Amino acid sequence: MLRSLKVSLLLMAFAVVITCGIYPAILWAFGQTFYPFQSNGSIVNGPDGKPVGSLLVAQPFTKDEYFWPRPSAANYDGTASASSALAASNYGLRDRVARTIAPVATYAGGPKKGQLVASDVDIWFDADRYGGKPGIVAQWADAHNSLAQAWVTGDAAHGAYVDAWSKTHPDLVAAYVKANPGTPQPKASDLAVTFFEHFSKDHPGMFPSAVTQKDASGKAATAIQPVKSGSDIETTFFLSWREDHPNVQLQNVPGDYVTASGSGLDPDITLENAEFQLDRVAGKWAQDLKRSPAQLRQEIQAMLQKQAFSPGDGLFGEPIVNVLQINLALRNRYGAPS
Amino acid sequence: MWTLPLLLLAVTILLSIPMSKYFAWIMDGRYRAPRVLAWFEERLNTGQQNWKQYVIAMMAFTAVLFTYGYVVLCLQPIAPLNPLGRSILAPSLIFNTVISFLTNTNLQHYSGDQHLSNFSQIFFILPNMFLSASIGFCALSAIIRAFRGEATVGNFFVDMWRVVAYIYVPAALIIGAIFIHEGMPMTYQSEQTVTTLEPASMGVDDHGAAKPQNIIVGPVAAVIPIKMLGTNGGGFYGMNSAVPLENPTAVSNFVTTFAMMIFPFSLVLMFGRMLGRIRHSVVIYCVMLAMMVGLIWWTINWDTLRPNPAFTGTSVERSYQIADATAPGGHRAVVLPAVASLPVDQSLGNLEGKELRFGTSAGAVFAAVTTDVTCGAVNGEMDSLNPTASLSPFIGMWLNCVFGGKGVGMINLLLFLIIGVFLAGQMVGRSPEYLGRKVGAREMKLAVIALLVHPFLILGPSGLFAATGWGTGAESNPGAHGFSQIVYQFSSASANNGSAFDGLGVTYGFNNNPNPAPEAVPLDIATGLVMLFSRYLPIIAPIAMAFFLGRKKVAPASLGTMRDDTITFGVLLLGTIIIIGALLFLPVAALGPLAEHFGPIPFGG
Repeated sequence: MLRSLKVSLLLMAFAVVITCGIYPAILWAFGQTFYPFQSNGSIVNGPDGKPVGSLLVAQPFTKDEYFWPRPSAANYDGTASASSALAASNYGLRDRVARTIAPVATYAGGPKKGQLVASDVDIWFDADRYGGKPGIVAQWADAHNSLAQAWVTGDAAHGAYVDAWSKTHPDLVAAYVKANPGTPQPKASDLAVTFFEHFSKDHPGMFPSAVTQKDASGKAATAIQPVKSGSDIETTFFLSWREDHPNVQLQNVPGDYVTASGSGLDPDITLENAEFQLDRVAGKWAQDLKRSPAQLRQEIQAMLQKQAFSPGDGLFGEPIVNVLQINLALRNRYGAPS
Repeated sequence: MWTLPLLLLAVTILLSIPMSKYFAWIMDGRYRAPRVLAWFEERLNTGQQNWKQYVIAMMAFTAVLFTYGYVVLCLQPIAPLNPLGRSILAPSLIFNTVISFLTNTNLQHYSGDQHLSNFSQIFFILPNMFLSASIGFCALSAIIRAFRGEATVGNFFVDMWRVVAYIYVPAALIIGAIFIHEGMPMTYQSEQTVTTLEPASMGVDDHGAAKPQNIIVGPVAAVIPIKMLGTNGGGFYGMNSAVPLENPTAVSNFVTTFAMMIFPFSLVLMFGRMLGRIRHSVVIYCVMLAMMVGLIWWTINWDTLRPNPAFTGTSVERSYQIADATAPGGHRAVVLPAVASLPVDQSLGNLEGKELRFGTSAGAVFAAVTTDVTCGAVNGEMDSLNPTASLSPFIGMWLNCVFGGKGVGMINLLLFLIIGVFLAGQMVGRSPEYLGRKVGAREMKLAVIALLVHPFLILGPSGLFAATGWGTGAESNPGAHGFSQIVYQFSSASANNGSAFDGLGVTYGFNNNPNPAPEAVPLDIATGLVMLFSRYLPIIAPIAMAFFLGRKKVAPASLGTMRDDTITFGVLLLGTIIIIGALLFLPVAALGPLAEHFGPIPFGG
């Protein structure tokens, strides 16, 4: 037994020397000598010669002039890879995807073919009837408590708005405490559903949203106010609208435009996704450069075709495009977006 | 679509033939090592051991490795190579992680990119990956020698040295070079900082300055080869082989998948070569291959060829009559309402949690293979697999012998095999035999004990956690899927696999973390214990069984002897595995993935 322990220690020592010392050192020397670009993280430089990103790590793009990467459950944080870990049966997945589709959803048929759905969501929301019953916001909060709570906790201003509301409605807070004796001092998120139910009654056809206004002295100030339309309503209630209009034909968006990747850092999008975004990208560059959109569309289309590659040279999958690489090419060719 | 799995299987099968020859040549000691390496080997050679001495040596070394791992992980805050100032992990997390890597499981309740320094990656992860993988390999070698009827089963330390120095290190160097070429980082630095191309797209800090994007790098290309070859599966980054820096291209993904398959494939043939019964091992190989092909097909069919049901919707409402004694007429109607579809093009299958650069079916193939060979690396999110597709990883872990981990997969199969010949013997009224030796009561007892450890350690803790806040407080998905998350965690721990339904809240993180996952501590401790017991009992009991069987007299084969190198025998073996597996795990499968599939999607709000 003692002998076994002694030899075990010796084996451990040998193993540490080989596997922690020699083995990684050989690979390090090999990598840094022959493939220094890869070995240091595939970092590329921007137009000013400074490192601007890794070709292997997605970074966020929000401007219309650029192609956008896939949604990221990691918020594109290169130090904390993450997937959504949402199951198919989780309503959160449906909701997230619907919010991503909302701004780009278009009709696929009928008299409005090709038009955006968003403005019709506003009109429908204004009528304030869901499933034939009045009070869209109240029904929404009732059916999806977690979404109502997420609205409250997602933004400090939202929480403050609900706190202020609860101070002016002590009777409702008291009723909540009576119904939930386990929560004697409810926080803003606990009151989310109660809040939305009464908000819906007080402001039919409206939803609380951030509004920026100039005050008397001319300074811009942002405050939460009930609003009748706008992007908040269009994204939050697109899914409810869809549930009320299940048979309307809509144009499909590419799968990878709305799904989050496993790492949250997937640097690529499908060529189909890039072409789906092409009208927006080309249109915006045309505006910036005061050139014809059709011509720019053609130029950028050619750049996409040139950069697209298929996994395993086409053996394993469909053509994809590296988002940073194509955006870098756009930046180098057309300058900084306005 | 099908090119990737077919090419993978073809290449692995082809290369497993020469590899198995090399393994047998090394483990039978027919090589002559270069003088430097031979010097080390002599220092370790304590002479031939019988099975008890071999097991004692194995346990002594395990104790040393355990202590070493504990000390190294605790040193993280004061050790070098830690420019990001990673502090000490929570005690329960250290306990879990040390056992996890000691037992070749690599269940990770932490995220490598967030919680470990390069010191820990090199001095904790690397040796554990090499050594724990070798222990299973050595155990199988000892069993083979016992089956051959030898009184001594070799020397544990020499076996370990052979596996590490002559097999794993050279193979890992070759694979590592390919990975670097494909884009994997290999540096002792910890982080790269870049300004984003679109200014301030990462947001602004408190002073209004644009935030940079920080990217974790490190000796990735040293960790990943042995992570795959040793079927360890513990990622350098949190999201494992899905992260582009850990798996940059379709080629690296192909090599990654190949690397986790090649050793388990070759070891089955090594078993036949060392016993001198190649045909017998080919039958076993084909049984395993049939199961793997089936599971890969199942996953592709349900995940790559079908849309994610979250977006498809159902146009009509569904109504079911459910037996209910309290309802009038004894039945109660359950109505699942119609669900509106979302306009998503799903021609590429379920893309939630998948990466694009590997190829269309790569996520599904990887999910099946990684659980078959108990590797546990993932290149996509298991939680987001379509519910029916997620049955495949479950089945891989529950059977635990679809090639299985290095050595232990083959050992698990031997347990099914012993039970199979016993059943067949009962059916024809002959005393059961294996390798010409009579299987007696003692061998049967040892085989059944080793076999029952696995379901016991999965179903027991799963039930306990599903019934208490320990489990329900950690679930992140609703309904049946939440239950699946708990079952997956314990299946993965018990199979020494290491993959996970990642949504489950298991991470405590650093000891000073103010907001740990609420049930992280009970999950750390319970899975830690499960990993420990499910690793060593199913290794030690079969070694004893092989010894008792091996010392019996070989009866000459007669007309009535059941031959073990025929198709009939293969069918018998496959049937035994499927029937025993289904008896043990079908109920829990019905409560988890199957209930999710047939139930309402989405489930609740």
